[in-house]
Amino acid sequence: MTAVFDRDALSEALGQTGQGDRAAFRRVYEATSAKLMGVCLRILSDRQLAEDVMQEIYLTVWNKAASFDPGRASPITWLVTIARNRSIDRLRSGAIARNSVPVDAAYDLADGAPSALDHIELADDAGRLGVCLDELDEKVSRVIRTAFFEGVTYEVLAQREETPLGTMKSWIRRGLLKLRSCLEQ
Amino acid sequence: MTASNDDDRIARAGEYALRVLSPAEEAAARAEAARDPVFGAEVDRWNDQLSHMADGIAPVQPSASLWPRILAATGGAANDNAVTFWRRWAIGSTGLLAASLAAVAIMIATPAPAPDPATTPVAGSITRVATLKLDNGVTALTLAYDSATGELYLAPTREMEGDTRIPHLWLVLPNEGGVQLVGAIDGHDTSRHNLEGVIVGQATEAIAVAVSMEEPGHTPNPDRPDGPVVAEGEFQPL
Repeated sequence: MTAVFDRDALSEALGQTGQGDRAAFRRVYEATSAKLMGVCLRILSDRQLAEDVMQEIYLTVWNKAASFDPGRASPITWLVTIARNRSIDRLRSGAIARNSVPVDAAYDLADGAPSALDHIELADDAGRLGVCLDELDEKVSRVIRTAFFEGVTYEVLAQREETPLGTMKSWIRRGLLKLRSCLEQ
Repeated sequence: MTASNDDDRIARAGEYALRVLSPAEEAAARAEAARDPVFGAEVDRWNDQLSHMADGIAPVQPSASLWPRILAATGGAANDNAVTFWRRWAIGSTGLLAASLAAVAIMIATPAPAPDPATTPVAGSITRVATLKLDNGVTALTLAYDSATGELYLAPTREMEGDTRIPHLWLVLPNEGGVQLVGAIDGHDTSRHNLEGVIVGQATEAIAVAVSMEEPGHTPNPDRPDGPVVAEGEFQPL
């Protein structure tokens, strides 16, 4: 069973992991592995592949925890960003047969297992992001969400939407600027 | 800095964090983030903001074998209560009896390619069997052990073919006794081994067996693997 961690405790455990503390590393794993597994599985849609990437992720955490700076990022952001980027790297590293999952089904792959992170997510921030995404043009919001959840490039998005590449870039760049403006209101 | 320049930097950092750029564009943005702290901070900001999209993804518990793999890969199995993890990982593989019995029955009824009668176990003398499976549930190796004679019979499937690493067989001992290296095995063809000394008793008592993949020329310490554990299975009496 996972321990309940708050943001400071997770930051502290990451700091200790960076100093080679394996007990702290285990605490980080137990508090975050279900969350990161959900992220990997969402992008890769294959449990075996997701677990292979999870091994890489936690090796990265073990090796890079010393570089984690709580002043620059929250521990959850740092870990989720590593998980997402590693999953996308794997997705693009070879010809992985992958069926596109509609963004509307983004949450269907998860099994709802409890996570210690449930206690420390900043619900207000997530809610605010959702509100701001919903304020964008529907198609722009959709492609930004697709890019995040599926790790696909401009080129793939343009093909899927049957839209010129330049138009797709314009949609997303303008959408990101509007998103930033909304988030900082 | 003009508003237009600011907007351009914000948008470029955002599309880099979102991972929509082409490989060449992404490499350029990565280099820029490394050399320009202002751009790098903008990327961090986007990562922070965009990561909240993942908040809605429900957690999924990884399999119990993942942590031992991670721990082994960091070289820390011996220092972090490895026994608990190995036991948890071994105990998680229940329900293998039927598969083990079926596999051995088939193995005996239809011996592996080019069977050598001298190396094919006799049904009556086999006392313990195990089917070692990969994480995806595919069988990698079937094992039979005769505790009376110390004879160990291994029948790998084709799953380990093509791997340049060397498979090593491990016993998982009862009562938090840790793990014990049996030795390197042939991952391609059936083989027979005659265990001698204390390991005969350890193989009789072991609760499970596992295979780790080690780099060529490297022999791990007898109490922990250095390479990833790729297959495992419970010992069952026949």
